Amino acid sequence: MWDTYLITPMTNVLLFVYDNIGHNFGVAIILFTILIRAITWPLTGQQLKSTQKMQELQSDKDWQAIQKKYKDDKEKLASEQMRVYKERGINPFGSCLPTIIQFPIIIGLYRSIITALAATPLALLDLSRNLYSFLDVAAIIPLNSHFLWFDLGRPESVDIMGFAFPTLAIVVVITSYIQSKLMTPPPTSGDQSAAMGNMMAIYMPFLMGYFAMTFASGLALYFITSNLLGIAQYAMMGRANWSNLIPGKK
Amino acid sequence: MKTKKIFVLTAAVLIFTLLSGCSAAAMNSNSWPGLSATDETVYLANGGFVYAIQVKNGSVIWQYPAEKADSKEAYYADPILTEDNQLILASAGSNHSLISVSPENGRLNWTFGDAEDTWVASPLAVDGVIYAPNSDGKLYALDLNGSFLWAKHISDSALWAQPENDGEYLYITSLDHHLYGFSKEAKETIWDIDLNGAIPGKATLDENGALYIGSLDSTMTAIDAETQAILWATPLEGWVWDTAIIQDGALYVGDLEGYFYGFDAEDGAQLWAPILSDGPVTGTPLVTDEHILIGTETGTIYAFDKEGGIDWQQRINGKLYTNPVEGGELTFFALMENESNIALIALDVDGKQVWSFTPEK
Repeated sequence: MWDTYLITPMTNVLLFVYDNIGHNFGVAIILFTILIRAITWPLTGQQLKSTQKMQELQSDKDWQAIQKKYKDDKEKLASEQMRVYKERGINPFGSCLPTIIQFPIIIGLYRSIITALAATPLALLDLSRNLYSFLDVAAIIPLNSHFLWFDLGRPESVDIMGFAFPTLAIVVVITSYIQSKLMTPPPTSGDQSAAMGNMMAIYMPFLMGYFAMTFASGLALYFITSNLLGIAQYAMMGRANWSNLIPGKK
Repeated sequence: MKTKKIFVLTAAVLIFTLLSGCSAAAMNSNSWPGLSATDETVYLANGGFVYAIQVKNGSVIWQYPAEKADSKEAYYADPILTEDNQLILASAGSNHSLISVSPENGRLNWTFGDAEDTWVASPLAVDGVIYAPNSDGKLYALDLNGSFLWAKHISDSALWAQPENDGEYLYITSLDHHLYGFSKEAKETIWDIDLNGAIPGKATLDENGALYIGSLDSTMTAIDAETQAILWATPLEGWVWDTAIIQDGALYVGDLEGYFYGFDAEDGAQLWAPILSDGPVTGTPLVTDEHILIGTETGTIYAFDKEGGIDWQQRINGKLYTNPVEGGELTFFALMENESNIALIALDVDGKQVWSFTPEK
């Protein structure tokens, strides 16, 4: 089921794009990422709304009163917060959803990249049985896996004085951090969802960076493109919280 | 707060595990076993280990490495014997090793590790030179001591098949859709032909100087090696993965749609209507005195007569991708992904299983 509904469609879309844009797999991944971003646009919209509601809630007097009243009773505070969320139709995980939804996409894309590049006999055999009939894959195999200075099917690094410097992974960490911070509402004391957002803003970039460093660099290209598109989207919608990027500023 | 932390960390661990699982699967099992045999010994390259097994009873003579597998080595190419009695093993692991061991006891003779990519193809050892095509698109030449002689760039794509040899030229197939004619004396490519599809299998040369090549373009093509003229080309139902085999003027090949074909090598006329087996055929058919044998991915071994009739078929629990081989009076099939972890079976002429080999865990 996983293969049928996720990996195979993704692989075929990637190959279709590759076949129609001059046989450049890096460009195919970038265009594919734009497509994913377009498909998940409603989710991003939901995320922004959720973030906005959370921000409004921070300045709400009832909310602040609850924080104050139950500051020494964490369990009661949590249950009261949940009551308020429910009453006002706020999903406290709404801001996390687009990040969570990325997980199957990340796994699917990684598998699709490996499948499409078919660098080993078993991978090529696997590819042969996962193709839609509209694709003339025999004509485009083997795919050109080189993009800029790296091989999309392998982890990327640049040799600097004998040290393998993971440039893409570092760019992934930076862009993931910027995107997370731009989306995070300003925290108020005792607010668990904002603290959760802040925690995600710290952990997720390093996690993504580790993935980018360890796995095929096509995945890193997806992360970077997706992050840049996210940043551009928030900026265009006027929702980017730029002040969050300045250390110490609340 | 604690619950949420656990949630995030669990999600992170889950994705990492899934990605690592994909990656490890890709690294650990990137091909299928390699097989070769003499009348006394069958050699099985089965990933982390290569086994020398007695033909008569299936007992292990030696394994390489003797103790623990090296995670950077993955032996899948068919082991080959040289004229001076070395067994050459090619690794598809990250060490990119081409090694020589003694066929008698599995002791290491030498290792060559300077290629830029993995070895999927078996090398060709002829006239004191080991010609080894690599996934980096180069053809490497070593002497029989494993010393590097030269390397020539053949293609920008991977070379996955052993070269064919006529004494003067090597015929090298590539995933870049081309067949290359390589002069051994000049050490350079003299000509090449585009066959419109990747060619993972080896070219077959007959005594009349005709080359037969199947490709992922689902076409079987015959080419005059001297003039490079296309003698005939015929469309097949599916991708041709491995090498066609020729005997007594007949050419036999299977495809990934599961069809098995017999052609008149001279003009490409079909000897019978394509026979549909129960699964993809990746291995080269084995021609014995009695039969033409193929194995399918679905796990069935078919024994055909020379007219395309099925003499017998045998269902095996496992996937059959590897070229079957013959040794002594037995035929051998390497297995993948079977519940009992059996890696190799030996059959007699009637398809009766004589023994099986299961590697120790």
